[in-house]
Parts: sequence; structure tokens; C-alpha cells
Amino acid sequence: MTTTLNDLRTDALREIGNIGLGGAVTALSDLTGVLFTLEAPQVMQIDTSTLPQLCCVSPESLVVGTVSRVNGDWPGEGAFLFPWQSACVLWQILVQMQPSGLEELNELYQSVINEVSNIMLGNYLQAISQMTGFTLHMEPPAFAADMAMAVLSSILVEALYGQRELLAIETAFKTPEHEFKGYFLYLPETGNLEKLFGVLGI
Amino acid sequence: MATVKLAGMGEIVWACGAGVLGCIGLGSCVGTLLFDPRTQMAALAHVMLPEAHDQDALTTPGKYATTALPALLRVMDLSPALASRLKAILIGGGELFQNRSQTLRIGERNVEKVHQLLRELRIDVVFEHTRGSFGRSFEFDVATGFIKVRAVGASTVEKDLAAVLGIQRRAA
Repeated sequence: MTTTLNDLRTDALREIGNIGLGGAVTALSDLTGVLFTLEAPQVMQIDTSTLPQLCCVSPESLVVGTVSRVNGDWPGEGAFLFPWQSACVLWQILVQMQPSGLEELNELYQSVINEVSNIMLGNYLQAISQMTGFTLHMEPPAFAADMAMAVLSSILVEALYGQRELLAIETAFKTPEHEFKGYFLYLPETGNLEKLFGVLGI
Repeated sequence: MATVKLAGMGEIVWACGAGVLGCIGLGSCVGTLLFDPRTQMAALAHVMLPEAHDQDALTTPGKYATTALPALLRVMDLSPALASRLKAILIGGGELFQNRSQTLRIGERNVEKVHQLLRELRIDVVFEHTRGSFGRSFEFDVATGFIKVRAVGASTVEKDLAAVLGIQRRAA
């Protein structure tokens, strides 16, 4: 894969991240009434040493994350990570309250984050589907709240299972109205990349 | 305390007589530490997956349980026949995402595989903080035999393993 991922293809993956998550943050803005904006997506070939560079949060800080399996023509894993303070912003906006700590993190709070992930990933996949004609299905998100490195490594190890390399399309989104930053990762199965590039004609 | 030699994902670190070894943010990964009471040497692998399935194992043997244990023995310059004098410490192997519809149960499988390999080498596990649904960080002080395990939302677990590891502390 290393040899086939030239600049053009990296750009294409970045653009897919842009288009896909553009729809997703619009959906989040509609849901919350708050304007969210995207940072430029990054496309990274991951080996274990580059893992700490993903999602710039300190390794032992508390994060809230979800991961959903995506099946179909471009299978992979879609994951969201929110630093604890950013998750609190979402909770405050969407249910007008927030847990004071991990021990108060009940099912309501979890379902809020799962729903945000659902809507955003759903929109992301829809945008990609419209662009490529791919059929894509997502499974319901699974939830975790724990130290950043543990959450991230659990997601990546599972995505890495059965593959030699891992590709990550990382997009950060934020809002000027609040102290908020969210991270989206799409971790496609690298074996299916050719199919994507074929459809895009590159 | 001395600076901690951290084993990143798939890495192996070691220290002899003094020093602190550890891992940060173990999710499904298993920190597998072997200690040799005779030489007071400790070696730690940050194991990510149970089994090696490609040549990647040659460059990063610490990544897979099946290649990490032989690599730890090599680092400790010990043949498998003598491995039974070693003591093992295992940390990690949690399943953070509990409600997955399909799960590979990598944490559990990592723990099981490391246990199986240790049994084959007749290495006793003297301390274990594994499984569950949460992440962990830990530090092991090679000179004192003290281990500290941190988890989010739980108090730090500290244990003095000097006696079971055969560490004789010098008087301060």
C-alpha cells in the first residue's frame, strides 16, 4: 500500500474526509444550534510509533469515544473522540446538564454521545456514498470513557487486526462559541483502497 | 523517582538492578514484564495482539504475544529451559468498548495467550491487574519491586513485590 499512496491519492482521501465530514458537522450544527467548523483533514499511514500523534490530547487525559464498524464497499471503523471538557459542552447543549465526573456518566449521557456519533457518521457515509455510489452500512456505536491513549489504542489495535498497515483519515472539528474540539477518525481496511481509487478514476 | 522507561505500543524496554519501567494508556494491550531474581533484570513488552501473522513480527516482536515472550528471553539472555526462574507481571487487557455488536475480544485474547505462553515456559505470574472494562497505566521500580497501577476514576493500586521477586533492598 505504501507504494500506491501517492500525493494524488492522499489528496483524494483528504478531500473525501472534507466532503464527508462537511455534511456531518452541518448535521451536528443543526442538532445543536451551534456552528461547528472543520479543520483540514489529515491522512496518515499509521504504525504504532505514530499513534501518539493522532488526536492531540495528552495520553492519560480523560476522553469520551465511540467506535462503529462500517460494512459494505469501503469497510472500516469510524471513531469519534471528545476530550472530557468537549463532551461536557455537547451534554450541556443537548440535555442542559453534564456529569461532574466519570461516576456520574450514566446511560443518558452515553446515548447523547452515541447519537451524535450516529448522526455524524451516518452523514459522513452518505456523502461518500453519493460521491462513489458505494453501499455503506454502519453498526451502532460502542461507547467508552477512559484515558485517551487506552481508548485510542483499543480502537486502533482492533482496526489493525489482520492488516499490516493502518490508514487514518483524521478530521478535527470545533466551534468558536465554546471551548470544544472533537476528533473523527476513519480507519478503512487498506485492502479496499484500490476499489475507492478505481471509482474516483485515480 | 528516576525517569520512567516507557514501552510504547509493540516496544520492548529493559533495566537491570535500577530504573523504572512502565506503559501509559494500556487498553486491550497487555504490559508483559518478566523479572529475573538472579540477575535483578526486568524486561517489559507492550503486547498489542495475541498472534503474529506477518513478517512485521521480525521488526517489532514486542507487538505480538507469540513473538514478544521469545524476544524478552533474548533480551534477558536466557534460554527457554531456564525461563522457569523468571517471575511475570501482567497489566492491561481491558475491553473498553463493552457494547460492541461484533467484537474481537482482543484484550481477553491477549491475556489468555500470554498466560498460555507463560505456562508453557513454567513462569509464575506474581502480580496481575488485567481484564475489566477500563484502561491502565503502570510503573514498576526495578530496584525496589514497587508497582503502581493507575486507572481513570479509581484509586492507584500500589504493591510491594520485593519479597516475591527476591529483591533485597539496600538499607537507605
